[in-house]
Amino acid sequence: MSDTSIKDFEAAIAELETVVKKLEEGDLSLEQSLALYERGVTLSKFCHARLEDAERRIELLNERGQLKPAPAGLSGDEPDR
Amino acid sequence: MSDLFDLPFEDDPRESDEAPQPVASRRVYSVTELTIRVRDQLEEQFFEVWVEGEISNCRLWNTGHLYFTLKDSSSQLKGLMFRSALRYLKFKPADGLRVVARGKISVYEPKGEYQLVCEHMEPQGLGALQLAFDQLKKRLQAEGLFDTARKRPLPALPRKIGVVTSLDGAAIRDIIKVLRRRYANAHVVIRPTRVQGDGAAAEIADGVRAIARVPEVDVVIVGRGGGSIEDLWAFNQEPVARAIAACPLPVIAAVGHESDVTIADLVADVRAPTPSAAAELVVARKDEFVSRIDRLTDRLVSTARGRVQRLSRRVHELSGRRAMAGYTARLAMTERRADELTRAIADAIRSTLAVRDRQLRILERRLDASNASRRLARDRTRLVTADGALHRLITVHSHQAKMKLGQAAGRLETLSPLGVLARGYSVCWNDERTRAIRDSADVAPGDTVHVTLSRGAIAAKVSRTE
Repeated sequence: MSDTSIKDFEAAIAELETVVKKLEEGDLSLEQSLALYERGVTLSKFCHARLEDAERRIELLNERGQLKPAPAGLSGDEPDR
Repeated sequence: MSDLFDLPFEDDPRESDEAPQPVASRRVYSVTELTIRVRDQLEEQFFEVWVEGEISNCRLWNTGHLYFTLKDSSSQLKGLMFRSALRYLKFKPADGLRVVARGKISVYEPKGEYQLVCEHMEPQGLGALQLAFDQLKKRLQAEGLFDTARKRPLPALPRKIGVVTSLDGAAIRDIIKVLRRRYANAHVVIRPTRVQGDGAAAEIADGVRAIARVPEVDVVIVGRGGGSIEDLWAFNQEPVARAIAACPLPVIAAVGHESDVTIADLVADVRAPTPSAAAELVVARKDEFVSRIDRLTDRLVSTARGRVQRLSRRVHELSGRRAMAGYTARLAMTERRADELTRAIADAIRSTLAVRDRQLRILERRLDASNASRRLARDRTRLVTADGALHRLITVHSHQAKMKLGQAAGRLETLSPLGVLARGYSVCWNDERTRAIRDSADVAPGDTVHVTLSRGAIAAKVSRTE
């Protein structure tokens, strides 16, 4: 996700927590509430995206520091049981 | 120079003819010659000896050679062990240790001292491995390498997971299996190393350093499956301990079984009892975060929904008095924006749920198709196994907020909306000003529409719709 206002996953969760708390406390103008809500949605989407966007991949790091795909036997795709 | 000392002991042979010395039997050695003869004798005689004693005055020189004294209750023997031989000892010789040493007796010529040139040494009592373990443990502990304060938390969501282990063992298969089962899209980078035998420790240490340099690797698992203490030995060696301690990323050590505790385990940020458990530690964090985000998102949506409801109640009161009807338009805008955001968040939740539940994909398609199918989906939500948050989002929010606000807005005339319009938004109404236009299909070319701006309003004709 390209939102540069979000530092990383952990910062996003922390901020989402703050946003929700502030909203729950009330005492905000409508504009403030909406701005917070909008921010919360952005953060939530960012977090969900980060949870899903890791690539399903296994690589080997060889002695020359190069990354190569792991042999098929290692992929763990065979049934567990 | 030596004349002064020689004179009192010996007459000058030239002064007496009566008592000629047996010149033939008088063989005068130089000190060096004699020393060398003694050395040769000793080396021949004590070419390989075993000697037992207690180590004292143990000193490791800069050259890497070890000097020590072996002693028992009444004698001492100087000893020396060259670096080349010392390398093969599993333990470190230290004062007070009782050992059996093997070597040859030799002579250090510059000092005329005989000494044991030690080739091998075994501790008496404890096994060499156990002793080595205790020694290294004590030393690293004193340096503070096992301190709890040094332990770093695992990352919330590692972008890539580094693994340093053998490709042949069960460990790597166990790790991959767990990661696959619980975190299907895990990105794993493996540095294959030997995990036992000579040189394994150096390879593992190199591996830890190398994998920490791979971009986006956020956590390192280092370990191997179970085995004898000899098999696990690499993980009790100093180079591995140092590499783990110096690693810039959190390290999970997973060596052998639950009962095996190696030095690597003690230095690592987290000790996992087995390789599978190490993988579970990494993914358990993911599960934890998924539910945390879902809970937060739920709260975010329900709080915003409550706020919209409160505001709409207030508008009802106000509109009843027809005093400040301007809020209605503003609120209509607000409600629309809240609705869009809610839909966006529902999308985010759905995309996660869809991974787990194929049925939700069907719902998702229905929801996205049109407003009509959205209502249909709403009615059918109970029939589909859906997440509670999603259900509430779609039904409660859109129903209540829309009904109340839509009716209120429809009854009232448009007056100048406040904050939202001031930011550049405007509201487009149908000719009768009963309805805000949200869909270009609601008007046709030639229709008159009314646009409410922050200041003033515009009546306009639709030239075309897109």
